[in-house]
Amino acid sequence: MAVRTPHFPDLLFNSAARLRRWEGALMGLLADHGYRELHPSLVLRETPPEGALRFFDGDELVALRWDFTVALAGLLTRTFPAPPDRVAYAGAVFRRPVQPWEAVERFEVGCERIQPEGEPAAEADVELARLLMAVPGLLGLKSAILHLGNAALVRRPLEAEGLFGELADAVVAALSRRAPHRVREALDGHPSAVRLTTHAEALLSELDGPGTLSALAASPYAALLEEERNHMDRALKALLPILPPNLELRVDLADVAGLGFYTGPTLRLWAPGAQQELAAGGRYDRLFPGLGRPWQAAGFCVRLSRLLDLAATRPDLFEEPR
Amino acid sequence: MNQTLLIAFPKGRLGDELVPLLAGTPLALDAAALKSRVLRIPTATPGVAALLLKGADLPRYVAAGVASLGIVGSDTLDEMDMDLLELADLGFGACRLSLCAKAGVSLDDLRAKPHLRLATKFPKATEAWLAHEELTAELVPLSSSAELAPLLGLADAIVDLVQTGGTLKAHGLVETAILGRSSARLVAARGAYLSEPGRIRPLAEMLLGALKAKP
Repeated sequence: MAVRTPHFPDLLFNSAARLRRWEGALMGLLADHGYRELHPSLVLRETPPEGALRFFDGDELVALRWDFTVALAGLLTRTFPAPPDRVAYAGAVFRRPVQPWEAVERFEVGCERIQPEGEPAAEADVELARLLMAVPGLLGLKSAILHLGNAALVRRPLEAEGLFGELADAVVAALSRRAPHRVREALDGHPSAVRLTTHAEALLSELDGPGTLSALAASPYAALLEEERNHMDRALKALLPILPPNLELRVDLADVAGLGFYTGPTLRLWAPGAQQELAAGGRYDRLFPGLGRPWQAAGFCVRLSRLLDLAATRPDLFEEPR
Repeated sequence: MNQTLLIAFPKGRLGDELVPLLAGTPLALDAAALKSRVLRIPTATPGVAALLLKGADLPRYVAAGVASLGIVGSDTLDEMDMDLLELADLGFGACRLSLCAKAGVSLDDLRAKPHLRLATKFPKATEAWLAHEELTAELVPLSSSAELAPLLGLADAIVDLVQTGGTLKAHGLVETAILGRSSARLVAARGAYLSEPGRIRPLAEMLLGALKAKP
């Protein structure tokens, strides 16, 4: 959707103070766990991507930092022969809005766990989930929900069926809409139609606690996805005993947001009644190899602009600041 | 905060089919309110109210989370491409999205036109079909009464929804190609559904149950 009037909100007194307080609290949490701050330049060095905010400085086309993960990846590959294993960031990104209510300038805090390719990654995934579990309490949210997903639950069956391009995109779009009937429509006449529709129905059948994993048994790809299921099961067993009060853990088998980027486990933080996720992340093992470095990575990003909006529109969801 | 849950129901053709289907169910609309000009209608279930909205506006109310659920035609969904969940194909309101021209004008006649003009409320679906058929055309955007366009020379043909074909026949038009099919869909606000499934899923199931209970 084209948005003719970009939204550049100013932050006044309480919101500005809240942003500074939240940034400090979150960066403190990350520093306590060994995450060292990097601050990539506000001006992009790379070719300006489509979604970036671009303008001319004289004859030169300039773009502002539009995504921390991408900006950090550029910085890390330029600067380090071997990457630091834990990095954190805080600041603003500037992105063209897709929806009319989205602001152009967005404040984020996030972190990244980077390892050499081939190193066991399960512990890093759990470490990130544990960190994200601490975020709602730090921000004063009265209650929150952490969704655990895994991009491979959709990616691997599509690859196994040799489904790529427009048809795969249509299946992913249907899953994003949580519409198994659209999967059936998209694959009408394709040899994998029945299998992939049954798989979609299994992924979409539950959105609940750890028991949701059992829905995978109804999928024709249950054997193919055994490793992912076991990984999620182990993560749940590690996380459930340390679940903070007022945080609910749910398994969302049909999380396909960012499927082109994520390759494994995904994390999404919600507050009851919030219209947008408040933090998101996951494993994206193809990013650094695509830049010529044999590194694997996972991370998450807390979307502070959305949290500021939520605090303004739904103050009942937050504890009174001390 | 325990707010009233809002369901967005369509006015017009789909609404005319929907309201009788809900009669006698827990989501039946208050008859007195329906007769008034009020657009927020209580249902038979306390804490659940309906908004009556034009089809083109309805997805925005749901996408923004104002209404937790809604019922809208898949043609509108495809045209607007809003960030919504589409929980079920409800089956009713079935119709075709068709290319229609004056009787005696064939698809090949339209293909042969050096400057084809198509009037439509569905530019996105029309453009997709034109690209698929490797055709180009001038699109004439209309918001209603598209049937008049070929009769009065505004366009060579129209792309519009056809249910029984009665309106086409009355205007001397015929279907020359079917571009797609449409039916009523149950949609949900992504945020409400994912952050409060305990509130929204039972409401969706209540609505599906109410519609299934009817013959």
